[in-house]
Amino acid sequence: MGGVEDDEPASKRMKLASGELKSLSNGSSLTKTIVGSSRDLMARPLQSEGDDDVVGSKGVIKRVEFVRIIAKALYSLGYKKSSARLEEESGIPLHSSAVNLFMQQILDGNWDESVATLHKIGLKDESIVKSASFLILEQKFFELLDREKIMDALKTLRTEIAYLCINNGRIRELSSCIVSPSLCASVGSSNQDDARMKSRSKLLEELQKLLPPTVIIPERRLEYLVEQALTLQRDACIFHNSMDKEMSLYTDHHCGRDQIPSRTLQILEAHSDEVWFLQFSHNGKYLASSSSDQSAIIWEVDTNGGVSLKHRLSGHQKPVSSVSWSPDDRQLLTCGMEDAIRCWDVSSGECLLVYDKAGLGLISCGWFPDGKWIFSGINDKSICMWDLDGKELECWKGQRTMKISDLEITSDGKQIISMCRETAILLHDREAKIERVIEEDQTITSFSLSRDNRFLLVNLLNQEIHLWNIDGSLKLVSKYKGHKRTRFVIRSCFGGLEQAFIASGSEDSQVYIWHRGSRELIEALPGHSGAVNCVSWNPKNPHILASASDDRTVRIWGLNGLQMKHKGAHSNGIHYCNGGT
Amino acid sequence: MDVDPRSYEQVAIKDNEIHNIVLSYLVHNCYKETVESFVACTGMKQPADCLEDMEKRKRIFHYALEGNALKAIELTEELAHGLLENNKDLHFNLLSLHFIELVCTRKCSTEALEFAQSKLTPFGKVQKYVEKLEDFMALLAYEEPEKSPMFHLLSLDYRQQVVDSLNRAILAHANRPSYAAIERLIQQTTVVRQCLSQDHNKDGLPPFSLKDFLKS
Repeated sequence: MGGVEDDEPASKRMKLASGELKSLSNGSSLTKTIVGSSRDLMARPLQSEGDDDVVGSKGVIKRVEFVRIIAKALYSLGYKKSSARLEEESGIPLHSSAVNLFMQQILDGNWDESVATLHKIGLKDESIVKSASFLILEQKFFELLDREKIMDALKTLRTEIAYLCINNGRIRELSSCIVSPSLCASVGSSNQDDARMKSRSKLLEELQKLLPPTVIIPERRLEYLVEQALTLQRDACIFHNSMDKEMSLYTDHHCGRDQIPSRTLQILEAHSDEVWFLQFSHNGKYLASSSSDQSAIIWEVDTNGGVSLKHRLSGHQKPVSSVSWSPDDRQLLTCGMEDAIRCWDVSSGECLLVYDKAGLGLISCGWFPDGKWIFSGINDKSICMWDLDGKELECWKGQRTMKISDLEITSDGKQIISMCRETAILLHDREAKIERVIEEDQTITSFSLSRDNRFLLVNLLNQEIHLWNIDGSLKLVSKYKGHKRTRFVIRSCFGGLEQAFIASGSEDSQVYIWHRGSRELIEALPGHSGAVNCVSWNPKNPHILASASDDRTVRIWGLNGLQMKHKGAHSNGIHYCNGGT
Repeated sequence: MDVDPRSYEQVAIKDNEIHNIVLSYLVHNCYKETVESFVACTGMKQPADCLEDMEKRKRIFHYALEGNALKAIELTEELAHGLLENNKDLHFNLLSLHFIELVCTRKCSTEALEFAQSKLTPFGKVQKYVEKLEDFMALLAYEEPEKSPMFHLLSLDYRQQVVDSLNRAILAHANRPSYAAIERLIQQTTVVRQCLSQDHNKDGLPPFSLKDFLKS
C-alpha cells in the first residue's frame, strides 16, 4: 500500500505528522518511530521493535489493545483501507488469520469448514466452542430446510447437532420445525435470498458476542468507551442544568455556574402575612402560594417566565398551610391549618367544594394520581379519602401513627407516605399491604417525594436534609447541610434538569441549592428579609425557582444575565409585582 | 388410633359379594380362562357376552402393547365405533404408540417423519396437544432415542398407561364399569385411612401403608 512508491506524498504526510506529534506533550515515543522510518515502511518487519507496550500518560493502556480497537472502529466506520493500512503499519493485526477465515466462511455459508476453523482458533473454553458450533449448525439446519432438503436437515440434526449434547430444549424446537413448518415460523428461519444473507451476518454478530473479546473485538467498543467518558464528565458537572449544552470531545465538559438560577427576577408582594407554602403546577404554567393571611394565590407564569397574579383565593378561616395541584392542573386544593380543605377551579378561581370533618382539623392534602380522589391527614391521626363530589370513601388509621403532617402518594398510586412518629416515616403499600418505615435519629419536620418515586427528601430538626432511596430496600443515600433551621418547618424540594439538584429554604433568609449527586452546596442566595419557608422549582423550566418567605413575599429566581422584558422594570432588573395587576 | 381387629368380626360379608368383586377384576383385565374356571368353581352365573367381549379387548391390548398400534386402532373401531372420534386424547396416544414403534425400529428417516406429518401434526392445531407433540417430535433428533431426555416415552410403562386408558374407555363406551371394584375398594380404604391418620397425627402414629396392613 502506497508507502514507498510515491516519495513526495509520503514525505509531505510525514512532515505533517511529525509536526503535529512534536506538539503533543506525551507523544515522544510516537515521534521517534515515524520520523525514523519513512523509507523503511515496506521493508520493516511486521513486529515493530522499540515501541512501548503501553500508551498514555498513566501507562494503563496496552498498545496492542488500543491499536486493535482503533482498527475495528475504522473498519466499522467504513474506512477499510485505512484499517488495513493501520494493521500493516503497526504490525498488529485486528484479528488472527484463523478468525478472519472463520468470519469469511460464515458469510459464505461454508458451515462444516467454519466449525473446523472454530476449533483451530484456540479457544480455551470448551463450552464456548460447543455453543458456537451449535449456532453454526443451527444455521446450516435452517438453510437446508429452507431449500427443502428435509432429509439432510434431519441428518444434520441427528448426527451433528444432537451430538453436541447441549441445549436439549432447542433441539426439541428444531425437531418440531422439521415436522411442522408452522412451528418453524415462530422459531425463526430465513425465507428468501436476501433474508438468508442477512441471517448470516446476524449469525456472525451473535458469534462475535459469544466469543471472547480478545479473540474478536466487540462491535463499537471505541464508541462505547468514549461515551462512558462523556457520561462520567456529565455526572461530575455539578452545574449541569441545561439540555442544549452539547458535549464535545475536544474539551472536558463542565457547565458554569450561570446555569443555576441565582438572581431574583421578580418579587411578588401580594400576601399580607407570612407566606408558608408554594408550589408550581405540573405543567409549570402556574404557581400557587399560601399564607398565614388565610388566603392562597394562583399566579400565572407567562411564556417569558414573568409571573402575574391570576386569582386570590379567600375563604379559609385559618392560615393556609399547604396547597396541592390536581394531576391535570385544573384544580387546586388548599389546606387550612387544622381546619378544612377547599377545592378551587383554577381558571375561574371559584371555590368548588369544602371538605371538612366535624370536630376535627385537616392537616394536609393531596390528590390520587388519577385525579378522581383526594386524601388528607387529619389531626386525629387518621387519613381520609374523598371523591370529587365530597363523599367520604375511606378512612383509616395507620398502625403506629402518632402524628400526621405531610402526606404524599407515589404517581402509580401504590404507596402512601406519611409520618408515623416524630422520627419515622411510614411507607404504606396499598396493594401489597406492606408497611416500611424510615427511621431517623432526629425529629422530621417535612419531606418530599422525587418525580420518579424512587427517592424521598427528608428535612430534620438538626439542620440536615437526608436523601433516602425508597425503591427496593430503604437506604440513606446523601446528607445535605449548610442551611439554618431552628424553630420552624422549612421545606426542601428536588429540581432542575432531571431533578439533579436539591433546593431548600432556610431561617437565615437565604435559598440554598445543592448538587444532588456530589452533595456540594452550590448556591446560598440572599434576598429575602425573613426566613424562607418553602421553595419550588419549576418542573418544566429548570432555570426558574420560586421561594416563599416570612417577609410576606414570593421571589422568582432565574439565571444571571437574563433580562426581564417587562414594562415598569426597575433599573436593577428586578420586577416587582403587587396584588393589583 | 388403630381399629381393633376384633371389630372386623362385626361386619358380615356374603360370599357372592366377594365372588362378584373377584369376577369384576378378572373381567376387567381380560383373564378369560381364569374367568371360565372361576365361574365353574363357584357356580356363579356368567354374564352374557362376557367371554367374547374379553377376547376382543384382549386382542386389542395385545396388539397395542407389542407395537402394532394401527391394528389396535382398527379393532377398537370395530368393537366400539366412534369411540376414538369422541376421545381425541386417546386417539392421539394410540397414534403416538405407532410413532414410537417406528422410532424404536429406527425407521426414522422416512416413515416416522411422514407418519408424524400426516397423522400427528393435525392435532397440533389444538393448543393442548402442542407440547405433547413436541415431546414426540424431539425423539426424531436423537440417533439413540433411549438416551434422549424423552426416553420415558419409549418405555413399557408408557404403553401400559395408554392401554389402561383405552381399556377404561372401551368399557365405558359399552356401559360397563370402567374400574374394577377391587381397585376402587382399595383406593377408598387408603384415602379414608390417610384422612384418619392425619386427623389423629398428634398421636404420633405412622401414616397408613396398605402393604403393612395386608401383612398384618
